[in-house]
Amino acid sequence: MADDKSEKKISKISRRELLRSAGLAGAAAFLPAGVHGLAEGEGEILPDEISTATAKQASRSALPQNLTAEETEILDAMVARLIPDDEHGPGAREAGAVGYIDRELGGALSSSREAYRAGLLALDRYSEYSREARFVALTEKDQDSVLFDLQTGGATGAGAGFLGSSAAFFNMVRGHTWEATFGDPIYGGNKDFVGWDLIRYPGPRSAVSPDDQRRLEQGELEPLRRSAYD
Amino acid sequence: MRISSLAGLIGASIALVAPSSDALGQAPQGFIVRSPTMRTGEMIPRDYAPDGRNLSPPITWESLPAGTRQIAVICQDHGAGNPPPWVHWIIYNIPGSATGLPEGVPFDPTEPMPPGIAGAVQGNNSWGLPMYRGPAPPGGSLHHYHFVVYALDTELNLPPGLDRAQLLEAIDGHVIGQGDLMPIYERIPMPEPREWQGGPLPEVWPEPEFDPFDL
Repeated sequence: MADDKSEKKISKISRRELLRSAGLAGAAAFLPAGVHGLAEGEGEILPDEISTATAKQASRSALPQNLTAEETEILDAMVARLIPDDEHGPGAREAGAVGYIDRELGGALSSSREAYRAGLLALDRYSEYSREARFVALTEKDQDSVLFDLQTGGATGAGAGFLGSSAAFFNMVRGHTWEATFGDPIYGGNKDFVGWDLIRYPGPRSAVSPDDQRRLEQGELEPLRRSAYD
Repeated sequence: MRISSLAGLIGASIALVAPSSDALGQAPQGFIVRSPTMRTGEMIPRDYAPDGRNLSPPITWESLPAGTRQIAVICQDHGAGNPPPWVHWIIYNIPGSATGLPEGVPFDPTEPMPPGIAGAVQGNNSWGLPMYRGPAPPGGSLHHYHFVVYALDTELNLPPGLDRAQLLEAIDGHVIGQGDLMPIYERIPMPEPREWQGGPLPEVWPEPEFDPFDL
């Protein structure tokens, strides 16, 4: 039994499971302003307020703004296992998930800043305690095993310093990683549309003809590769 | 004896009568279940728990009933779950020729099973995960972990991902032997958080090579 009984019936961290659940992420791509959030006080971005989403994304700083270097390193390793770069294509690291989370921790996700600070250090500390190495130094297999311990709440009772349960921290990071990977690129993630390519989302369209629908179902519809705000 | 320990023993004794019998209505034959690293009533090594590497533990069995064609194993905690037990591990379709389970059965379903248990698949534990996840009882409580090994009279070749109830239903009427092992576990507290994050501090600070005030 784990400390956190409420975390039962959770899903495995795998690309296959992710793809099964990806319909939700695809839908989320249409509703980014409310779900993914903008910087506090920034207000909703309207299409005529920006030139192109791609240009806005490119102008963002590559340096961490809200996470420390150590936190960034741990989070980078974590998101790379949540949605790995594998035979299906690039993953969350390549989608720029860390940059998205880092920026939003100074804005819409600012209430999660302390949970990230405590959780990432707790993850590293738990990894050193249980696997005798920092999380970033573990093999991918051991990193996955550690993340399963977080997901099931098994890491909670070790006293590593999670705020609440390790499962809550895991679910928070996983949710933000999905937002970053599958959201509209205007919000700073989904770099080069790798998330949409991964789930074969063809991009936002103002109209879908019967022929488009047919080609979509047959996997022949060419993706538009543009933001909804472009 | 602590309440959780008592509940675990009561629950375990209940579990020993289910599934009920073989196809002829006879009680399953007992056989020996051992582990090179665990013993009934003794602490599970931390490598088989989240306090360690959380590997599945090695288990061996001896004197299986004649006619054993396949084997199934469940690891459960009768002192947890609502309703109990909380299931930590389910593995089945183990060949009847197998003499045990090695340490560290893969948790990735795409990774092949070790040669001795080729064809085995894992069911869903109480977290809904098709893998072993070790004991992590609440701090300060000692729980019993009941490893039950079922000898089956036929090759059921069940699909992966069954939960405990589904597996017990599937093997009902085919259990010709049963053995078990019941080690215990209590979490090992972590040391206090370290204050210094930048590496080990030197035992003796080196003398400065120059006096910064003597300029």
